[in-house]
Amino acid sequence: MPTDTKRVRGPEASQSPSLFVSKPAAAPPSLGTRADGRRWGQVDVRPLFVRCGLVSQAKGSAYLEAGSTKLLCGVYGPKETERKDETDMKCGRLTTDMRFAPFSCPERGSWIQGSQDKDLSQMLHESLQPAVCLQKYPRSQIEVNVMVLENSGSVLAHAITCASLALADAGIEMYDLVLGCSIRQDGDSYVVDPSYTEQNSCSSVDSDNQGNLTVAFLPSLNQISGLQSDGEMTEETLTAGVRTCIEGCYKLYPVIQQALAKAVRRAAPPPSES
Amino acid sequence: MKLCVPGDKLCNIEDCSPGTGVYQRHGYIYSSLAGYVLRKNEGGQLPVISVVRETEAQLLPDVGAIVTCKVTSINPRFAKVQILYVGSTPLKDRFRGTIRKEDVRATEKDKVETYKSFRPGDIVLAKVISLGDVQSNYLLTTAENELGVVVAHSEAGAQMVPISWCEMQCPRTHTKEFRKVARVQPEYLQA
Amino acid sequence: MAAGFKTAEPLEYHRSFLKENCRPDGRELSEFRTTTLNIGSISTADGSALVKLGNTTVICGIKAELANPPVEGPGKGYIVPNVDLPPLCSSRFRPGPPGEQAQAASQFIADVIESSEVIQTEDLCIERGKLCWVLYCDLMCLDYDGNLLDACIVALLAALKNTQLPDVTISTETSAPEVNLEKRRGLHIHKHPVATSFCIFDDSVLIVDPTAEEESLATAQLAVVTDEEGRLCSLHKPGGTSLSGEKLQECISRATVRQREIQKLINKVLHSVKTDQ
Repeated sequence: MPTDTKRVRGPEASQSPSLFVSKPAAAPPSLGTRADGRRWGQVDVRPLFVRCGLVSQAKGSAYLEAGSTKLLCGVYGPKETERKDETDMKCGRLTTDMRFAPFSCPERGSWIQGSQDKDLSQMLHESLQPAVCLQKYPRSQIEVNVMVLENSGSVLAHAITCASLALADAGIEMYDLVLGCSIRQDGDSYVVDPSYTEQNSCSSVDSDNQGNLTVAFLPSLNQISGLQSDGEMTEETLTAGVRTCIEGCYKLYPVIQQALAKAVRRAAPPPSES
Repeated sequence: MKLCVPGDKLCNIEDCSPGTGVYQRHGYIYSSLAGYVLRKNEGGQLPVISVVRETEAQLLPDVGAIVTCKVTSINPRFAKVQILYVGSTPLKDRFRGTIRKEDVRATEKDKVETYKSFRPGDIVLAKVISLGDVQSNYLLTTAENELGVVVAHSEAGAQMVPISWCEMQCPRTHTKEFRKVARVQPEYLQA
Repeated sequence: MAAGFKTAEPLEYHRSFLKENCRPDGRELSEFRTTTLNIGSISTADGSALVKLGNTTVICGIKAELANPPVEGPGKGYIVPNVDLPPLCSSRFRPGPPGEQAQAASQFIADVIESSEVIQTEDLCIERGKLCWVLYCDLMCLDYDGNLLDACIVALLAALKNTQLPDVTISTETSAPEVNLEKRRGLHIHKHPVATSFCIFDDSVLIVDPTAEEESLATAQLAVVTDEEGRLCSLHKPGGTSLSGEKLQECISRATVRQREIQKLINKVLHSVKTDQ
């Protein structure tokens, strides 16, 4: 392995202490209630805490907390595109960068951005782009940077919500907000807004319908801008899952609207009617 | 006053005409910004509906806009500048622009010398004439009486006083330097 | 036109304030911005702290892992600090490997850890020559408005005080480590180093806790690290204009005052976290 000359050097290899735990973790929770008290098969999203404008240097920013999942998003621009060959005279560019803090997951993450981060950045980009009025920003670029501070599941879904909130806070023109919601399908039942353990748990029941689904939804235009699923699900289960996610998004909508209204009011009093 | 977020349906297209911060879709007007909903009668048949925020939303330099910029470098063919303001709104991110030799002034274009028009560090008022193409920056012009250098420092470091349309004088050493001077406007005297 | 003056001639703008012995944000020359601290907010980390110094925000998360002790010190462990300046925190930073400033900051933190002996690496040894702890201290800037180093040191110190390491025993039969995540203990913090940063304006005016704009206009920067006994742990002055001995003494006395303030703040917040539980 090449040595990293740009960081303070540690040992060549180290292991997480959780690999050496003598006792296995507590038994998986029984069907019906979930570890955090929410119910299976119900559109039970975790209560959301959102706040705009925490990053002073950014044009717009948003902080989102759902259960223990904590995300911060900053939006910069529109500014000159960095690379001349990518300049588009008619339309702006949207760039997304999503990263996990090394301490954000139960297992320590690497300093170097992994392929998972890049995949998530790409999905975030695809989910947001249809909502942004990019033709209003010719020859410029808008940067969306998301930092995951603590990963307690459903990170992509919450990153989408958080990023669209930051874009709106930055005053970037958009056709609609984008909300994200995800479910974990486990046999005949499902959990909405799964936590980290739920997302990665493998049910003992042998079944076809096992997988995760994340939907990005434009609530006012009633359109889906992004859909990501893994695992194996039948067609009916998947369509039902998409509907469940949309229902979940509508539950988040008022919280997001209020947070934005609060940010607008804090930024300036209403203009005079004259 | 009513607040809205992007995607909020504001009204039917027959009730209002769209202003800024809004877009039309399927016969309705929707908001594209988070801000206050403003209805104004501007003499037309329909009131104009707009969504406004604390600052002018996301201003980008557009053709015809008057911009304030700082000269970063000069060469015999053009001067490179950084655009600081569009109108009176400061830009958070800086954009680069170019003032070509032939766009410095309106008369005797072939006799223009960029060294006698601008120096790095000068604050210049200019007008956007084109967004440029993929390779170039914004193209700006100072070929109007009101456009040109508004603030400049002499070689001695003092802020100079304009004495004609093409000369400025240093108050400390009384040396004269050439500039394409903008006609002095009252609001710049206070600064 | 006041706003125009600020953008077009930032140096003149700052000078006009410094002439009156104050700063554009209303502070006096030797006044810090409000410092707030939040400890233990990240449950996935073994220890964490979030510090806000005015707008500047730094979060520190500590993850402990097991490793073989270094060959040159079989009775020691590792502390690996890393400062990250992601593009999220300011438009001046680009994505990719750490830039010059982040590298310099990481090295500065590593030097402070070593010279101040905040933690003795011997404490991190589990079994001599066989097993030790590695403390990965990741310092992430979330909002960059100057004075990164002071915020980093406070975040690091508070996170170390918050760190709880799981109990490890080495099995006599298999000689493999056995970890009990339920049983945890805190770290022994030997010293409490606190950094105080200064900027020198126009070769003579000294200001404390500079903002990002003040940093970019200053002619020199200086960081002084002292501990609770008033001992000087580190003095970092990367180039710039010179500084007289008297002025330097002034900086050190200001730093010792700051050290007491910060230690009090950390203890207060730690206490309130404990009573909550």
